[in-house]
Amino acid sequence: MSPRLARTGWSLLAWSLILLVAGPLLWMVATSLKSEDEVFSLEPTLLPVEPTLEHYAVLLTETAFPAYFANSVVIATATTTVVVVLAVLGAFSLARFRYRGREAIASAVLLCYMLPSVVLIIPLYLLMVRLGLANTIASLVIAYTSFALPYALWLLRTFMAAVPVEIEQAALIDGASRMGAFFDVLLPQVLPGIISTALFTFILAWNEFLFALVLVNADDVRPLTTGVMTMLVSGFNIEWSLLMAASVMMSVPLIIILAFLQGHLVRGFGAGAVKG
Amino acid sequence: MAGIELRALHKRFGTTDVVRGIDLTVPSGAFLTLLGPSGCGKSTLLRMLAGLEAPSAGQILFDGSVVNDIPPGRRDIAMVFQSYALYPHMTVAQNIAYPLRKRGVPRGERDAAVARAAEVLQLTALLDRRPRELSGGQQQRVALGRALVREPRIFLLDEPLSNLDATLRSHMRRELVALHRRIGRTMVYVTHDQLEAMTMSTHVAVIDGGRLQQFGTPAEVYRRPANRMVASFIGTPGMAFADGMVATGRLLLAGRPLALIGAPDGPVTVGIRAEDVEIADTGVAACVTDMEAVGHETLLTLSGEFGTVTARAPADCRLAPGATVHWQVRPAQLHLFNPETGDRRNAALSPITSSNETTAP
Ligand SMILES: Nc1ncnc2c1ncn2[C@@H]1O[C@H](COP(=O)(O)OP(=O)(O)O)[C@@H](O)[C@H]1O
Ligand SMILES: [Mg+2]
Repeated sequence: MSPRLARTGWSLLAWSLILLVAGPLLWMVATSLKSEDEVFSLEPTLLPVEPTLEHYAVLLTETAFPAYFANSVVIATATTTVVVVLAVLGAFSLARFRYRGREAIASAVLLCYMLPSVVLIIPLYLLMVRLGLANTIASLVIAYTSFALPYALWLLRTFMAAVPVEIEQAALIDGASRMGAFFDVLLPQVLPGIISTALFTFILAWNEFLFALVLVNADDVRPLTTGVMTMLVSGFNIEWSLLMAASVMMSVPLIIILAFLQGHLVRGFGAGAVKG
Repeated sequence: MAGIELRALHKRFGTTDVVRGIDLTVPSGAFLTLLGPSGCGKSTLLRMLAGLEAPSAGQILFDGSVVNDIPPGRRDIAMVFQSYALYPHMTVAQNIAYPLRKRGVPRGERDAAVARAAEVLQLTALLDRRPRELSGGQQQRVALGRALVREPRIFLLDEPLSNLDATLRSHMRRELVALHRRIGRTMVYVTHDQLEAMTMSTHVAVIDGGRLQQFGTPAEVYRRPANRMVASFIGTPGMAFADGMVATGRLLLAGRPLALIGAPDGPVTVGIRAEDVEIADTGVAACVTDMEAVGHETLLTLSGEFGTVTARAPADCRLAPGATVHWQVRPAQLHLFNPETGDRRNAALSPITSSNETTAP
């Protein structure tokens, strides 16, 4: 095979993969812009013939969508903040302090991450009821934190363990406190890890459905995932165009955040300044 | 300024003893070099002085008070790490300024100090770079800059010149010595390069296998090595050793008398430095087995019945490998060691002259 043919082959493969991934997304956007009639037209159209924003207008003005959206923002932001703060401090401890049972704790953390979250539904539900937290935003924040924290701890511990201890020791000698060395020297080194962790947690909390369904059964605290479903999907009818418009708007925050942080994720992985 | 005292200092990692009981005292303002082969425990010892490793046993005293439990930040020390340990996300200027920033030195003063240090270390053009944009030698100079920007009680330097080229290294050696003379602070300098130890220090501690082999001035360590390890480690080319024998007041090598000796009979190891070997018309016959031109002189490897010794010859030496020569050594310049323990043996040595012996070597 000539190199040129090979290149064409690879390009074709890459584009078909992209199409496979992006296809449904494009379909979603297209459908959200079609009128109700066009969606159910017997001759399906790929692109909307007469694009309309009416579904977006309806969602934003006539439904509880904005309230659900606000709930999701609060839940995802709170979860991300709690997870990042706890994981950074916990990982620092697991990576840098010597104490009995440190390795056991680290393994337990990994084990927690491997546990299927479904088995936690009933215990967590009962726990929330006992704590009087059923039907609160806090219950979801706690539940999501319990899934995301083990992974976040593990990831950040790996990042921190890869940073040579000596640069923190240098900072100690140069007059920094233990925490000063942590903030001045270690934290900037693991920033890509922190951003990955935050991203992972935010997406998890934003997209989670099952626990939101079980733990929250009140309209004023429902997040987008369950909110949109209860609002637009009933036994008799699915409001496809509204659903698609809602889905597009649900994806927007994630797209913005990803676009914003992508650069940070790649940057900072540069070579260290410590000789081997 | 602080004197340093180590009392039975011991460090073990798991089941490995890395530092095995070191006792040492240096006065305030000393330039102490810890000299020894790679892996002998020099860095570990230095890290204990810095407070980064806790001693397994023993005490460290600065100016007469025990500092074992004082954390690194309060020992008033500056350190150059063997690995440099630069802050990767900071520029060269920020790296050098960091110790001052942490001690609340005002901005203007800080900048001036950084500029001064950069000048001495030839880093002025690199101040805005980050460590990963520097060569190994440049990184090492930044590490030095970060230590030299302050005037702590004690400087701890772990092979700070190892990655510099020859010119820069000798320049930095002079700079460090000048700095030491100017500010008179105690310096502890780790190296495996005996030339650095010889040229810079006021005190040398030779370490091997975690034990102090000898402690003294560079001249003492060179002239009277306490044991075979020290003797072979110090001086280039290395000291040559031969198995000798003391019998009836004579030191014999390969059965031939070499000198008169005031020592009891028995086996002895004889050490001979290259600069003490003289090529002569008479003496021990040997064959030139190797020649190494090192610029200003030529090193000859001579093999004969006394074993192999190294001799120095002028750069324009016309000998060729395979040639036969004779060499002599003055008895007073021989070093004697116990063949079993390797410890130095002191004995009066004198030449065998025609008045007391008919067959001088
Ligand atoms: N943290 C540690 N854990 C286990 N062994 C160590 C540790 N640090 C150093 N060592 C061992 O101690 C010995 C001496 O190391 P080091 O002090 O770095 O030697 P040097 O600086 O003289 O080359 C080496 O054999 C090394 O492997
Ligand atoms: Mg070392």
